[in-house]
Amino acid sequence: MRPLTPRRILAICGMLAAILFVVVVISLRVGAYPISMRDIVVTLYNGAVGNGDSSEFSQVIFGLRLPRIALGILVGAALSTSGAGFQALLRNPLADPYVLGVSSGAALGAMLSLIIAPHTVGAIQLAAFIGAAATIAAVYFLGRRGGQLDSATLLLAGIIAASFLSAIIIFLLTLVNGPGLRSMTFWLMGDLTAPPPTQNVLGWFGFLYFVFIVAAGAMYTTSSDLNLILTGEQEAGHLGVNVTRVKLVVYVAASVLTGLAVSVSGTIGYVGLLVPHVMRMLFGTDYRLLIPTSAIGGAIVIVLADTLGRTIVAPTELPVGAMTALAGAPVFIYLMRRRIR
Amino acid sequence: MAASEARRRFFVMALTLACGVFACGLRDARAAETHLQQSATTPAPMSPDPAAQTAANKRATKLVTDETGRRMAIPLNVQRVVSLAPNLTETIYALGLDAKLAGDTTYCDIPPAAKEKPHVGAPQDPSLEAIVALHPDLVLATTSINRAQTADALLKIGVPVYTSNPHTMAGMLSATATMADLLGASEQGAKLVAELQQRLDTLHVALQDRPMAHVLFVVWEDPLISIGQNTFIADALRWAGAESVIVASQNWPQVSMEEVVRLQPEYVVLTSDHLTAETHERVNNLRDRPTWSELRAVKLGHVVMASDEFTRPSPGLVDAIEALAHELHPEVFPAKAENRKVKMENGACFYAAIPAAESGSDSAKGCGRCAR
Repeated sequence: MRPLTPRRILAICGMLAAILFVVVVISLRVGAYPISMRDIVVTLYNGAVGNGDSSEFSQVIFGLRLPRIALGILVGAALSTSGAGFQALLRNPLADPYVLGVSSGAALGAMLSLIIAPHTVGAIQLAAFIGAAATIAAVYFLGRRGGQLDSATLLLAGIIAASFLSAIIIFLLTLVNGPGLRSMTFWLMGDLTAPPPTQNVLGWFGFLYFVFIVAAGAMYTTSSDLNLILTGEQEAGHLGVNVTRVKLVVYVAASVLTGLAVSVSGTIGYVGLLVPHVMRMLFGTDYRLLIPTSAIGGAIVIVLADTLGRTIVAPTELPVGAMTALAGAPVFIYLMRRRIR
Repeated sequence: MAASEARRRFFVMALTLACGVFACGLRDARAAETHLQQSATTPAPMSPDPAAQTAANKRATKLVTDETGRRMAIPLNVQRVVSLAPNLTETIYALGLDAKLAGDTTYCDIPPAAKEKPHVGAPQDPSLEAIVALHPDLVLATTSINRAQTADALLKIGVPVYTSNPHTMAGMLSATATMADLLGASEQGAKLVAELQQRLDTLHVALQDRPMAHVLFVVWEDPLISIGQNTFIADALRWAGAESVIVASQNWPQVSMEEVVRLQPEYVVLTSDHLTAETHERVNNLRDRPTWSELRAVKLGHVVMASDEFTRPSPGLVDAIEALAHELHPEVFPAKAENRKVKMENGACFYAAIPAAESGSDSAKGCGRCAR
């Protein structure tokens, strides 16, 4: 194994970013509305220098495709980073916001806020974070046996929490009437089509990305300590790592990231589980590299899945959650079997 | 070492590719500026004359508040409409305005000509891009099937979406009149609404002394889903001289069979999926199913197949109401309650109620519209 230099981290992240860029270009190009590459570039250029017009090109590019791509990048990066965080926090390779019920907790929180205060900007995000944090706390304590975190018990606790929360969600869904119900059903399957809740689209995305960068950045500061904790909490403690503090930071950051993703896109499965694993296989288990590569990798996966979802059955669209599950499950089985061999 | 070499080469390649795409983009941007200026003067890819007209009309707009409280500017002279629900598509055809219908959904099957229009996807999750690609002056939606997100997203990018929210027949008629106004066909609208209202009034006069028939309206058989009080179907049933036995605040409550047995409705009203010929089969299936077969209504053969129009708040719903009224109150309407073909002006044929008791043997009578 070569030593992990900042240069190597930058090189690998640069390569992944280049792939993300290509995926974004493809995603901008394809869709039910035909636009040539040249028109896309012209529209982007005009929008960027400030003389944007109200042509249909700019409606499609700035109104439909770019917000969706921006949301996809955010959601993919947030889910993958929080997946990597949960895997370290619980020292369990199968940990993932979806499997652990954290996504369901965030969804329940978001749903309650939609019912109680549907028009308050940011309330959904806060409620989703609270739901995520409460769920992971419950799962963490249910998953302990004799003071020790037991891998199997933990996963069982997660599955139980997920099904319990889903039952509550279904109960709430039967109480909600008409169009609201329909929207929520779509949202629960994972959906990137919801428009921003405010008129200030740039400000909205600025807020979302700011929260993401703060949370992911906080998690990144613990990455060296996480590497040590993964070899054993006691050993890490002997080496001077403040294990409690590190775990608290990762716990809050991962919950914030899950809440953020779920609040804008509903529950999208497999990304948080799959992407960190693929990145580990490609680039090793060092968290200093794993966190940024997972973030970019997750963004690639979601943007790609959403692009496929809105093109393969056009003009109807597949929810992105269905796409990730459809593609994610077989890939996961393949990776698992390859690893065993 | 070899692996890292390959990885480096891949990285360089990917970066070069990305730079290449970016550079091409920049070059295109400069080259294409003139192209944009040209395209700005010809906004719509139509024949020159109507295109110029559309451009002029697009400037003249009026502010409208739709039935969900959303405000928007709608062109005074709407030429291209996209409908996001089957009942809206049907209303447009009933108004004789199908020339203005630029596109509809994959669910729009009445009249059959609606199936030939460009589709923008299913009502719940249409492709917003496909809608924009049809260059609509106005998009029509309804709360009974469309999602609020769809309207919000389209309004956000400047496409006017008028959403109707009918809960009663009166609401359906006023929505029809409003739609006609928006499409610049107020006269046709007033005429159609007056005609429908008159037919409803005739029914009301004929039925006002009759006791209401207590019916179970089946939206979906498995699981059993019925209707709540505040739905247009509940109101349509009242016009047909019937009352739903289910009391629920939800619009589409899931009902237990026990509840149905307890309530013992006089009639069971099923909605047919018009295009499947198995209507009789479905009634017979019901007779064979354990709990259903014990229902008094099923034993007496009081199972009525209402047209699928019953689930669509559109002008065709009045046909369905008339047919159901004839079915439920034969003593008031002595004319034999048979298959009715209701000819509409545009030649569409609506297949009304089928008496449940009749066997399927003489299937030749069928419906003109689907050639069955």
